[in-house]
Amino acid sequence: MTPRPGHGLNWVFGFGAILLIAILLAGPARAASTLTAKDILDRVDDLFRGDSSHGRMVMTVTTVNWKRSLTIEAWSEGKDKSLLRILAPTKEKGTATLRVDNDIWNYLPKVNRVIKLPSSMMGSSWMGSHFTNDDLVKESRMADDYTFEVTYEGERAGRKVIEITCIPKPEAVVVWGKLVVEVAAEDYMPFEMVYYDEDLNKARTMRFEDVGLLGGRRLPKTMVVTPADKPSESTVVTYMDMSFDLKLSLDLFTLRNLQQ
Amino acid sequence: MLRFAWRNLWRNTRRTGITLAAVLLNTAILIISYGLTEGMLRDMVRNSTQMVVGEAQAHAPTYLEDRNFYKSLPDPEAEVKAMDADGVGAAPRSYGYGLVSVGSKSAGALFWGVDPAREKAFFGLPGQMKSGRYLADEPGKGIVLGWKLARSLNAEVGSEVVVVVQAADGSLGNDLYTVKGILKAAGETIDRGAAMMHRLDFENLFVSGGRVHEIAVNSQGRLPLDVLAAKAQAAMPDVEVKTWRQLLPLLADMLRIMDGALAVFGAIFFLAGGLGVMNTMLMATYERIHEIGIQKALGATPLRIVGAVTLEALVMCLTATAAGAVLGLVAAYYLQSVGIDTTSFAGEFTFSGVAFDPIWRAAVSLKVVLWPVVIMCVTCTLAALYPAIIAARLDPVRAIHHT
Repeated sequence: MTPRPGHGLNWVFGFGAILLIAILLAGPARAASTLTAKDILDRVDDLFRGDSSHGRMVMTVTTVNWKRSLTIEAWSEGKDKSLLRILAPTKEKGTATLRVDNDIWNYLPKVNRVIKLPSSMMGSSWMGSHFTNDDLVKESRMADDYTFEVTYEGERAGRKVIEITCIPKPEAVVVWGKLVVEVAAEDYMPFEMVYYDEDLNKARTMRFEDVGLLGGRRLPKTMVVTPADKPSESTVVTYMDMSFDLKLSLDLFTLRNLQQ
Repeated sequence: MLRFAWRNLWRNTRRTGITLAAVLLNTAILIISYGLTEGMLRDMVRNSTQMVVGEAQAHAPTYLEDRNFYKSLPDPEAEVKAMDADGVGAAPRSYGYGLVSVGSKSAGALFWGVDPAREKAFFGLPGQMKSGRYLADEPGKGIVLGWKLARSLNAEVGSEVVVVVQAADGSLGNDLYTVKGILKAAGETIDRGAAMMHRLDFENLFVSGGRVHEIAVNSQGRLPLDVLAAKAQAAMPDVEVKTWRQLLPLLADMLRIMDGALAVFGAIFFLAGGLGVMNTMLMATYERIHEIGIQKALGATPLRIVGAVTLEALVMCLTATAAGAVLGLVAAYYLQSVGIDTTSFAGEFTFSGVAFDPIWRAAVSLKVVLWPVVIMCVTCTLAALYPAIIAARLDPVRAIHHT
């Protein structure tokens, strides 16, 4: 009878994670040339990052018990402001998540209330999407918070790859024990990131697929997250459209706007 | 033989009287302390089981390991019906995690979907309200909170609560509830995390399709645990039935420790009683060395002498313990019906957050009387063996000349 807080948290909180990953991975695709490991990590971090962004995506979560898709519209400004609003399905339509710095609020249209995510749940995982609240608020950069080295260079599964292994610096505030990043040797586009927990057990895998043009950038349009302990489950995010560096209204990221 | 033993006992009225009184008092004290301890243990069990846990619970196999929402009972209604037919109180419960929010405060909680009428009829928790009332029998989006949870949310009776949960189909369940009541201290889990609602409200919120995770059964002490567990298991063969001893291992351990402590106390009393009897018998034997010598000279076998002395002890013990049992029983019955008011010296006593009845009552049962009597008799008889053997080994010639 011990409750485990966060175990069943609604997964709307996780949608922000998508945006975060978007931010993490944002950045213009520069011409491929020989880059150092640091440059490669910076590029992966900057793939989806811009001064601001606006886009729509479909997130499909598959668990052993259910499968469902949500259509989400997302805005971001800088590193620390983001807003997500669910467009479909009908039951959750209008549900929104606002993140400013390290705080997360949720707007629930059914009851017309805004609730703030308690700090006790910021670090917890939740059922549903395979993201954690830490994904949502963390602002770490691999090249800054980890020590890294190229651990493999060559052919793997029929394509030329570079593998970089990142170990967190002792003082870095990160939740992972190790990151293994695999990028294409040709254009440094990410293929896969494997996350390890503090005991260096594999925690989850994020695959990047379907590279194409999004908002004028060459980006992987689909991300697939698979938890290591439940290989039959996954969260798939597919971007429908995306635009970068646009002018966003100042009051977009306010509680007043959230509850509209 | 018996008459002989009886007569011998009263040769030294004072000594035998003192030993008799010692054994008598020992027996009575043993019965009283045993009864009081039993009463306390029974109170502890009752407080811990009757409040909310019940005497046994049924869950889907492995549900207790991870409390997975999808591991629900296959046919809860059948179990409840079977228990009803046996006159055993049964309460179906559903559990789901989520978020409760009042104003700008929010916290994680474990939601309970309960059948308020059954909870009120069979369990004590609904009567333990700090403020407000327990849930109404009909659904109506009312919620009852653990007191620490309510405190952290600044919630009061009448407060509006937003609840947000991950529903069974993966969708976002959310709704507005009204705080109907706040529970008294009932253990950390409930105090900090419990948000209870009507099971039909729970079904709506969690889109749970009537999932039930737990059936708590409670015969209020009427059925022995193993019988109750067997009945619950028979009604639902595919589920995991656990008794409170398995569900509350800490309490079960504590009871075992107290049983052990009681055995040590008992041993001390027995030893004291036994030594008293041994002393009496030794003195009686020395006093009669001359006489025993004559008996031996007349051809009494050592066995016969051992028998005679032991019988003497047995007769004395039976007399003393019988009187002691009567005295102990009267006292224990008094303590059972009237009890001891502990508030004057212990204040309000709580055990794992559950407030205890300040009146400490004894529990009188057959074993409470039988064990002290039987063990006392055995101890005393054994204690008499030593002097008996000494007597039997006397050299008749020297014994006769002994004065």
